[in-house]
Amino acid sequence: MPDCLPRRDDPTLREACRTFTQVLRNDLKFEGIFQFVPESLFSAIPALNPDNPNFEDWKSIGAKVLVVTRADLAGSDLTIEARAYAVETGQALLTKRYAGRADNPRTFAHQLSDDVTALTQQVRGVARTRIAFVSDRDSTKEKRTKELYIADYDGFNPRRVTVNSSLNILPAWRPDGQALAYVSYRQERNPMIFLAEIFAGRSSGNITGERGGGQAFAPAWSPDGKRLVYSGNRNGNMEIYSVNADGSDHRRLTNSAASDTAPCFSPTGQEIAFTSSRTGTPQIYLMDNEGLNLRRLTTVGNWNDAPAWNPSRQYSEIAFTARIEGGFEVAVIDLATRQVRQITEGRGSCEYPTWAPNGRHLAFSCNRGGTWQVSVADREGREVVPLATGSGNNVQPDWGP
Amino acid sequence: MKKTLSVLLLVALAACGGNKRPPVVTGSTGSAGSRTTTVAPPPDTISEGPDIQPVDGSAIGATTFSDESGEGGPLADIHFEYDSAALTDEARGVLERHAAWMKAHTGLRIAVEGHCDDRGTTEYNLALGDQRARAAYDYLVSLGVPKAGLTTVSYGKERPVDPNGNEAAWAKNRRAHFAVSR
Repeated sequence: MPDCLPRRDDPTLREACRTFTQVLRNDLKFEGIFQFVPESLFSAIPALNPDNPNFEDWKSIGAKVLVVTRADLAGSDLTIEARAYAVETGQALLTKRYAGRADNPRTFAHQLSDDVTALTQQVRGVARTRIAFVSDRDSTKEKRTKELYIADYDGFNPRRVTVNSSLNILPAWRPDGQALAYVSYRQERNPMIFLAEIFAGRSSGNITGERGGGQAFAPAWSPDGKRLVYSGNRNGNMEIYSVNADGSDHRRLTNSAASDTAPCFSPTGQEIAFTSSRTGTPQIYLMDNEGLNLRRLTTVGNWNDAPAWNPSRQYSEIAFTARIEGGFEVAVIDLATRQVRQITEGRGSCEYPTWAPNGRHLAFSCNRGGTWQVSVADREGREVVPLATGSGNNVQPDWGP
Repeated sequence: MKKTLSVLLLVALAACGGNKRPPVVTGSTGSAGSRTTTVAPPPDTISEGPDIQPVDGSAIGATTFSDESGEGGPLADIHFEYDSAALTDEARGVLERHAAWMKAHTGLRIAVEGHCDDRGTTEYNLALGDQRARAAYDYLVSLGVPKAGLTTVSYGKERPVDPNGNEAAWAKNRRAHFAVSR
């Protein structure tokens, strides 16, 4: 993938091109589908003729796919033309022109990355996805707050969602990517589930309603976005409930004297995973979406919590948080074999896993460096990378569409 | 920030008065950059109940009980063992004094906040905080405190009084706090 070529000698355009190239490389490397021909080999062949590439040259340094990008600037409008070729045949696999505002060339790169990834016809890229999280960066000496933020999947462009200077936690993307369900303490000492329609700038709530009172935590959506599951204490201790997104058709799904928390849906919406302390320590259980057919999933270790079902039907597995040697680590259990693989390892703790929409990566929060930060790893646990989402402690990620 | 918390804590304890030794503050208090550490009040200082120096209604009105701060107020926190919502004998003793105070100061709203140390997962600690608040609530009610105006809420590990990651901080953070307002 050679550098983006500016069509004219303009410092703004050159800078946009540079950013675009860098972000596109990062995006495609993150997806981990393509291997990159080292840029150091490019000097071994004649310079790229963008209108008529010599495919023999590129073949000679081992390229299979060539991505050529050219950028132009008109006022504040940036245009990027992209072509991807099969080097072997010279066939154009992709010919696209992206136009938009010049102030964020990153979005151009994310778009092209997803389009190039889609060429595989197997993987849906995540370069345009976003991660919601909770940050205490707006706290003052007088008032400690936690607010919801969203950022691009790579941690860039963090944007604040809630502004109520209260405690806002546990965000959950509605599957359409337009809204977050979350828990807010903004009604004095009464944590309830609210809905933030983040692009409309509307906040509606509270979903769990006044019916029967009680407080509500840990919302999670059904894959069709019609129902929510959550844990609530209206019956004296934490139980799992489900409810329509409009607050109707409330159902209690669990009934135990111990705490039942942290529910999530399976990718089909037919099943629910949750944490229960009914045997004395937190363990992960499965049940159907009516609360029947209950069975215990985790049996190894004395603390397994916060299940997150891989949303891809290709992988039948659940990520969770396990206590391992005094600390907490993110692990994944294969539902067929019950084999557990550890994703994180090291000093401090990692917790609160969430899957990328295509199930190929995980995000979670870790306190490895003294503060809590959102980190990302692939599903095998290679390359755990902290995201630079900004100052403060940044926790409770939820990876959205 | 840490220093502010320490001061608040000391003020809260001072307001309770008492005949036991005051909590010991060690570490530097002035030099920039050095660690200012407040040694956790040994658990037994907590048992200095507010009955020793009850705060009257007007004083309560004048005192700031900031929402969600989880600190300060006329009623001392009670503390819990790790990963437990069981009331210790000491906590029961404090709650008995709190109950007497509450019965003498009717018409107030008192939120029993359950808090946890930051070991363990977010959701688990929200449930544990809920259990802690309820354990304190149930005991107060069993002692004859009217349910009207008395509520519970869990903050899980979201609002530690001491953000440090050591035993002393964890012990302080495993608590039920009694937020009093009119």
